[in-house]
Amino acid sequence: MSSRTEATAGGRYIRCPGDHVEGVRSILRQLLVSGSVKAVFSLRSIPGNESFSYSLISDPRLVEEAVPFHPLMPVQAARALSQLTVSRPLEEKVAVIIRPCELRAFIENVKQSQGSVENMFFISCTCPGVGDSGKASGNDSGKSGGGSGYRTACSVCTDFVPGDPADMVLLLEADESPEDTRILLRSEAAASMAEDLTGFEIVQGPSLEQLTRAVARRRSLQRQDFIEKGPSAGSGLEELVSLFAKCIGCRACRQACPLCTCLLCDYETARTIYPPSLIGHEAERRGALRVPPGTLQFHLGRLNHIAPYCTGCGQCSDACPVGIPVADLFIRAGSLVQPALEYHPGRNMEDPTPLSTYRADELEEITD
Amino acid sequence: MRGLVTSPGLPLREALLELAYSALREGYADFVMVPSRGPGDSYSWILAGTPDALTSAEPLPPVMTVQGARALSSAAGEPSSRRILAIMRPCEARAAVEVMKLRQIDHANLTLVTMDCPGVIQLDLYDGAAEPEECDPANLRPACRQCSEFTACGDACIVRSADSNLLLPLTAKGGELASSLGLEEQGSLDEWSKRTEELRALRLGTAEGARTELRQQVAGIGRLSDFFADCIGCRACRTVCPICYCRQCFIDMKDRRSPASSHLDRSRRSGAARLVSDTLLFHIGRMAHMSISCVGCGMCEDACPAGIPVGRLVSMVGAGTSALFDYRAGKDPEEPLPLNTFVEEELHEFED
Ligand code: SF4
Ligand code: SF4
Ligand code: SF4
Ligand code: SF4
Ligand code: SF4
Ligand code: SF4
Repeated sequence: MSSRTEATAGGRYIRCPGDHVEGVRSILRQLLVSGSVKAVFSLRSIPGNESFSYSLISDPRLVEEAVPFHPLMPVQAARALSQLTVSRPLEEKVAVIIRPCELRAFIENVKQSQGSVENMFFISCTCPGVGDSGKASGNDSGKSGGGSGYRTACSVCTDFVPGDPADMVLLLEADESPEDTRILLRSEAAASMAEDLTGFEIVQGPSLEQLTRAVARRRSLQRQDFIEKGPSAGSGLEELVSLFAKCIGCRACRQACPLCTCLLCDYETARTIYPPSLIGHEAERRGALRVPPGTLQFHLGRLNHIAPYCTGCGQCSDACPVGIPVADLFIRAGSLVQPALEYHPGRNMEDPTPLSTYRADELEEITD
Repeated sequence: MRGLVTSPGLPLREALLELAYSALREGYADFVMVPSRGPGDSYSWILAGTPDALTSAEPLPPVMTVQGARALSSAAGEPSSRRILAIMRPCEARAAVEVMKLRQIDHANLTLVTMDCPGVIQLDLYDGAAEPEECDPANLRPACRQCSEFTACGDACIVRSADSNLLLPLTAKGGELASSLGLEEQGSLDEWSKRTEELRALRLGTAEGARTELRQQVAGIGRLSDFFADCIGCRACRTVCPICYCRQCFIDMKDRRSPASSHLDRSRRSGAARLVSDTLLFHIGRMAHMSISCVGCGMCEDACPAGIPVGRLVSMVGAGTSALFDYRAGKDPEEPLPLNTFVEEELHEFED
């Protein structure tokens, strides 16, 4: 994508020896002890349990349970953050560990009044991706991630370097994986916090873009290939029907998607649900009708609503209990719609969101 | 109870198909609702108005993709003069009866026909190869393995007794169906009764054992949190449940979300707080709301992408409350639903 023109000039990093998990934990501990933040939002491994949940950690001693950037996305962080702040912004400072696609989705949430960034200090990373966790990936406990490699969405993600909204960015995915912990200080808040950290040195370094060129090239080729060769690129109706043939209508894809924030989905309202009389009528006319109807209507409708904003996180596919690659369709549609609208979802707070009136006619472009 | 001989010499699946054809041909129903094969080993419900439309019908698919009562709600959710005959699993018929009581399905022109149910394969264990009626017991839904109401539900049921197919009329409507199809010859139910009682006793034992274990596993809020630790909040369990028909679930109303400050307070008190309290609120709320009507179909559990045995939990809670009220979900359309308010109170018994 052409949007990252800024930081080719290099930037200021903090550095410490040792692996990134300990490095990030050390920062989090110090921020809590000094009171710079009151809590940390992170994935945490629950003692005595094999699962990982988002937690708010306020005791520095419990930071050791945090697993920052663990390659698993049980819930899209934007969804959790949006729920946390949709009614009221945070009143105290919280350090938020967040992946690039999660941060972009959250920025979209905030732009649509579904959350607030107030008092959030974002620590993100150049992102290697996350593993599949769903049942359909063969991992039936749904527990540990990574078993079957990275999500398709991640292997074709070219937006793995977080932009302006991130305060700090951990160099994780890079052409040459660093052996130490290196964190870019992107915001002024980060720069001033860094001055008080012990155990870190502040160094000048090349930009994140420079450090991830080969990765970007590789992913961009994979993405191109994926978009061109994919079964659902510019699909006809028949292909879409067979893509969703096994759909059980559970709406997990919608509920997992950080951008589907409507409390009452448009496709659950009287406007879009067929009344039984109409169903009977249609069944009479055609001889037979699939019931409940509207499977494709729901998916294409959601596509129509979300494609301009989709951040390609792959969470919808991961949630699908029958293994339908929902995100593949959304990522492909996004790759058509977003450039056409000149919109880069979640890049910053300022870009105006595409007018909702555009939405209605985009679908035609995609479906024929 | 009498059994009326139907489709002699045919396997159960063919007997059910035969019934579907005759119901349309004899004009007993305007539509038959039955599962049907779709592209690539997929199955979905169809509302068929002509015998021709039944060519891909599969009355005993190896999987349950959509709970039949849910499909029926969409087609029979309001009074209509169209007569529908639905061929469904016993748990689907029981769910349909519950939903009728909640007035989301109109019963007047509806006939529910069930069968001796072999159970269904868990969705993620279904590789597309299994032939209908050939379910490896190890791959059955856990709900099916502990199901004791696997036959004789709805208005009529086709059962197997000593290798013949017998139609059991269970309600007046079932009787009308039998006479409209001209079934008169009676057959002995002895073999069926014996087999059914044995299997029922076995399944009840399995269910009781499983529930005792589960009850310990979820005793207390801490353990209940652990039970739902992997929950991704996708609400698939609710969406696919035939009993949860509300378009806008009361649990999702925004004002029920706890504000950030309460989570931060919790974190301060115990050092760290899992952000799962909304998850628990959702699950506890759902159980309080509907578990009394749970028919134990296991659809919710089959849909859960995180593999949480949520159906077994709801049906365990439901079994407890049902016993208290001497209520059996879906068995009798005339039996009124115990008041929901009572149900919420009982939940506290289970909570601690
Ligand atoms: S989609 Fe991109 S940013 Fe998101 S987890 Fe995958 S690689 Fe990381
Ligand atoms: S549609 Fe799917 S890939 Fe796109 S933002 Fe939503 S969950 Fe992520
Ligand atoms: S998650 Fe999968 S099965 Fe559920 S509605 Fe979405 S596509 Fe259909
Ligand atoms: S729960 Fe019982 S009735 Fe339902 S599919 Fe399983 S065995 Fe059949
Ligand atoms: S709660 Fe689960 S098991 Fe009970 S009726 Fe609903 S889907 Fe079936
Ligand atoms: S289906 Fe499973 S993961 Fe989804 S909300 Fe229900 S219990 Fe949670």
